[in-house]
Amino acid sequence: MQTINLLLAGFQSAFELAAFITVVVGLLVGVIAGALPGISFVNAMAMALPFTYAMGATQAMLFLGGIYVGGVFGGSISAIMINVPGTPASLPSTWDGYAMTRKGQVKRALTIAVTASATGGLVSALMLTFLSAPFASFAMRFSQPEFFAATVLGLVSVIAIAKDKPIITLISLLIGMAIGTVGVDPLYGQARFSFGIPEVESGIRFVVVMIGLFAIGEVVDLVASNRDLRPKKTDGKPERVRLRDILAVKGAILRGTGIGCMIGVIPGAGATPGAVIAYGVEKQINPRGAEFGTGVEAGLAAPEAAKNATTGAAMVPLLTLGIPGSAATAIMLAAMMLQGVNPGPLLFIMDPSMVYTIFAAMIIANVLMIGAGFGVAQMFSTLMRTPPAILAAFIVVLSLIGAYGVRNNIFDVYVCLVFGVLGWAMKRVGFPSAPLVLGVILGPLAERYFLTAVANSRQDYSVFFTRPISATILFIAFVFVLWSLWPTLKSRIGRQPA
Amino acid sequence: MTPTVVLEYAKAGFAASAMIFSASIAAAQDYPQRPIEMVVTFGPGGGADLMGRQMARLMESSLGVSLPVSNVAGASGNAGLTRLRTNPADGYTVGTLISLTVASWASGLGDSKPEDFRIISVVQNSPSFLFVAANSPYQTAEALFEHAQSNPGQLTVATSGYGTQDDVTLKLLAKGGVQMENVPFQAPGERYASPIGGHTAVLYEEPGDVAQFLEAGQLKPLVVFSQERHPAFPDVPTAAELGHDISGLDNFRTIAVHADTPAEIVGILEDAVSGAVASPEWQDFCASTYSCIEPVTGDAAQTMITDFFQLVADQLNS
Repeated sequence: MQTINLLLAGFQSAFELAAFITVVVGLLVGVIAGALPGISFVNAMAMALPFTYAMGATQAMLFLGGIYVGGVFGGSISAIMINVPGTPASLPSTWDGYAMTRKGQVKRALTIAVTASATGGLVSALMLTFLSAPFASFAMRFSQPEFFAATVLGLVSVIAIAKDKPIITLISLLIGMAIGTVGVDPLYGQARFSFGIPEVESGIRFVVVMIGLFAIGEVVDLVASNRDLRPKKTDGKPERVRLRDILAVKGAILRGTGIGCMIGVIPGAGATPGAVIAYGVEKQINPRGAEFGTGVEAGLAAPEAAKNATTGAAMVPLLTLGIPGSAATAIMLAAMMLQGVNPGPLLFIMDPSMVYTIFAAMIIANVLMIGAGFGVAQMFSTLMRTPPAILAAFIVVLSLIGAYGVRNNIFDVYVCLVFGVLGWAMKRVGFPSAPLVLGVILGPLAERYFLTAVANSRQDYSVFFTRPISATILFIAFVFVLWSLWPTLKSRIGRQPA
Repeated sequence: MTPTVVLEYAKAGFAASAMIFSASIAAAQDYPQRPIEMVVTFGPGGGADLMGRQMARLMESSLGVSLPVSNVAGASGNAGLTRLRTNPADGYTVGTLISLTVASWASGLGDSKPEDFRIISVVQNSPSFLFVAANSPYQTAEALFEHAQSNPGQLTVATSGYGTQDDVTLKLLAKGGVQMENVPFQAPGERYASPIGGHTAVLYEEPGDVAQFLEAGQLKPLVVFSQERHPAFPDVPTAAELGHDISGLDNFRTIAVHADTPAEIVGILEDAVSGAVASPEWQDFCASTYSCIEPVTGDAAQTMITDFFQLVADQLNS
């Protein structure tokens, strides 16, 4: 009951003019950025981050939340219309979505995609609303050992999710953790890896790393690769889409939503694995699974629902534990910390109105997305005529201003440029950058929680295993590692002669 | 963007262009002619930030120019001090210098020394206390110290870190036979919550930072590390009364400039700070954080910083 009252109050603040406009602008920015190939919702959020410096904490979250929701969908517009996924998470949508476009069913494909995405996102936002508070009150029992265990789970799942290349992901994560140690250590106040340079003692802020890798790195790659992005002519007459076309794929939408909600909660997962897994599952379950890839509606609906269903779910660990599970939620964490707000179980007691305004805004954003999706799809061909060089120039300038604005330090601008070049190089050789950023964030958290926990137990290292909640979380982390290594182990064992 | 935000940007933009065009015509007799940058050496929201912003706002009226605040956080306040030291010594950059940063020099951080800065005025000062949760088994300092004496190292104290004045205080207590374990919490919120949540036995903190928990009755002060009892907590004994003469490790906050700043400019700034401190707004502000003092200026301020630095350095190296 209390949840409902708080949520109603949240809706009230979210419908205030300034707040509402913020959500709508964020949503539009997200859909447009998502639709532009080469600019994903993560890049868009990284670029938008500096704009939040001047906002309050709640408004900043509404803006970024809008971009997140819109951007995760936006990628599908270009996936369906020109066979180029605007963001990686929209890759599965090209398989059946573009096939439908080639059959002249572009409008039908877009309608199914936007409806499925909105449904997935809405269910996920509701789950966020009703699951977070109970989970946060459970997390009130957490002390330093439990937070350490939860951070370890976050680190482990980054690797476990990247099943295709766990070693490279691990290396990326470890590099990130090493970068996170630069600067003043959290307990002794000693400078580490500063090489005697005073500027380096200030440390490398993950916000700056993020802007460099995600905004500058990507945009350099966009210009360098010089892709032709104009929509190709499709033949076919205007078609009509009816409600029953959508009802026909409701099974696929619901299955996709369920999978997305589950995968989104896991730290380290995100929209892309959610969409890919949902596509795979739907292919097995659906009676027309064998025809997938030739323009089957269900093959488009399931991954669309799943990727937007990860959005709300991914915010559960962020808001309740202060542990971001993905690049997008890491940017939200940055925005909150820049405003002096520390997410975690205490936030639900200290500032419930902020939390529930965010919930309400996520629900509103998903409903409004239907309109925003169609609107941007209409103007898509115009959008594609913007020369990438002009876009890139804007983004680089905004990014550098953003890096400076974090703490008015010119050193951060140099750091941002270094990571921009690095980000481009990483993209070129296919080295994943998201684990690195998560390493920069989670590494120092893990260190801090570990050292304080050990000091508090008078140097007794067994504290992590003797406390029940901490032990349980660490056990889950252990199972995760086994599960991710299982395919490799199985093939090893299989090859051994019995 | 709200209109105020736009205005803030316009102000900042004006400040930036003014700095570029008039850098060459700065002279002591007509100081100040253009906006003065207030470098807050910590991020938004903390004690130093509140002080810097409040001071900047109150100094504007007497100086007749605006004082835009920039938060240059990092390295326990040393990142901002680097900026203060490397900008010209013309009085157009003032900064916050607080005890935590001075203590960090003693433990080897940064490359600043007390003589690199001219302290305009020490504007806030607060001794630290030991606090326990309201339902703690130790309701008096005697009971707490007695338990620590018979069970060395068993009680845990939440502090801000090793090598800080928190650490020095605990080391001095241990020398007097009261040995407790230092448990550093970097995040202030977690530190304040730890005794309330029962995760540590004691909290070492200045009262201003935990005012809300004191008003709510969740934390109880047991002992103050000061020469005299604190006027706001007349019932709380000093450590000296209990046989541990520990003082001079107070949390102070100052406004400082580059050491080479001309004396006339230091004088003008000193008057502005004194005027600000006398204002009712400032008195309300410092009362709410239990940190009001008579401003300490001139050589007395300089000596205060140097002595503090020496005390911490001696204790950490002993």
